[in-house]
Amino acid sequence: MKSDYARYDDERLIRLITEAREEALDQLYDRYNRLVFSLALTIVNDRATAEEITLDVFMRVWQKAGTYRADQAKVSTWLTHIARHHAIDVLRRRAVRSDQYAVQWEEAIYAKSPQQDPQESAELSMRRERVHAALAQLPPDQKQAIQLAYFGGLTQSQIAETLKQPLGTIKTRVRLAMQKLQSFLRDEQNSEDKSVEAQRTYNISKEE
Amino acid sequence: MSDEHVLDSLPAYALGSLEAEESRRVDEHLSSCWICRDESNSFQMVVEQLSFAAPAAAPSPDLKERLMQRVHSTRLAPRVQAQPAKRPWLERLLPAWGLASLCLLIGLAGSNLFLWQRLNQLPVGTTSLGMRAVPLSASVAGSTATGFVLISADGEDGALVVDGLPPLEEGKQYQLWLIRDGQRTSGAVFSTDENSYGGTRIRAPLSLLEYSAVGITIEPQGGSPQPTGKQVLGGPLFSP
Repeated sequence: MKSDYARYDDERLIRLITEAREEALDQLYDRYNRLVFSLALTIVNDRATAEEITLDVFMRVWQKAGTYRADQAKVSTWLTHIARHHAIDVLRRRAVRSDQYAVQWEEAIYAKSPQQDPQESAELSMRRERVHAALAQLPPDQKQAIQLAYFGGLTQSQIAETLKQPLGTIKTRVRLAMQKLQSFLRDEQNSEDKSVEAQRTYNISKEE
Repeated sequence: MSDEHVLDSLPAYALGSLEAEESRRVDEHLSSCWICRDESNSFQMVVEQLSFAAPAAAPSPDLKERLMQRVHSTRLAPRVQAQPAKRPWLERLLPAWGLASLCLLIGLAGSNLFLWQRLNQLPVGTTSLGMRAVPLSASVAGSTATGFVLISADGEDGALVVDGLPPLEEGKQYQLWLIRDGQRTSGAVFSTDENSYGGTRIRAPLSLLEYSAVGITIEPQGGSPQPTGKQVLGGPLFSP
């Protein structure tokens, strides 16, 4: 039953997909289609292409689920990794750079997907907020460099050329930005872990 | 270089924004330095989270249906090697036909894998289990496209296999129409591979025995409510 699949964690769904269980793919799609599509759309800036990329990502999951290694990455990380690289490949084949990197990340919409479990939707929104908060700490020029590297798939030399800045300046911006994000997200992760641990301790004490 | 730490390069390495040569040097160093590897993993974690920075957007509601159609299509017609074009149509379709019909055959009580071998030696429309293989012919002058529809004895299951229909441009798919009393009902939306082969399960609101003919047209991705494109392949099924 589909309701059973909704209770399974991502790794179990992947195992079921290796057994060609379509319901498992259906469930995984419901969980992550928006994440994959949003990422692809931000990179290629075209809905039809982003949908094709989304289809390709989930078809790859269907056909290559056996190659997933749980000890190397979370399922969501695996999906976004495939999506990002595929979308950047598409962008490079087009050899046309869109101008969407001026997008204001802070303007992200937190609409809930009708297909998505409310809890999963809330978790995705929380993770988005966390990353946006981290990005908000960055000076605009550092944020721009990260945008061009991550969503544009540009090398540092290409970023320097695009922004007409010395390569050394771009290298510094990228390095400083990533170090700040690393520090902020690590602190956030630690406090989140502590919060989860505190909740777990509270629940255990209540059961006792 | 591989003995020197590469800590300053790791942020850009994680983003994939190093030049190829420098990226190779970092790769080489990481293979033997756990200090830099730990730091690299930490930056990879940052990059993983950046995917959540993309403004939230939702794909079309029908995208999941398109995904599942693709899944069905690949389950029914895995890739096969192109066959020489000179052999009879049924023989040429054998690889795709055998594989494409496998799911259907498995689902039919009493079916067995000898069916395919026997079917290949029997006149069209007769099998020991009462299944019918109905050949389709090209509707366009000069086309070498062929195909057939396999229908179970009770008409409840059907599969389509085509050969010689070239892959379509982006945004287009083939659509199978089931014809009854002049009315056309969609039976499948499918694509063909680089060998111009394609296969799909047929889904119909009525028993397939109720339809008198089929046709295949080119339609926008995902299919149309009614045919809008030119018919490329077709043929009669039964006389209800």
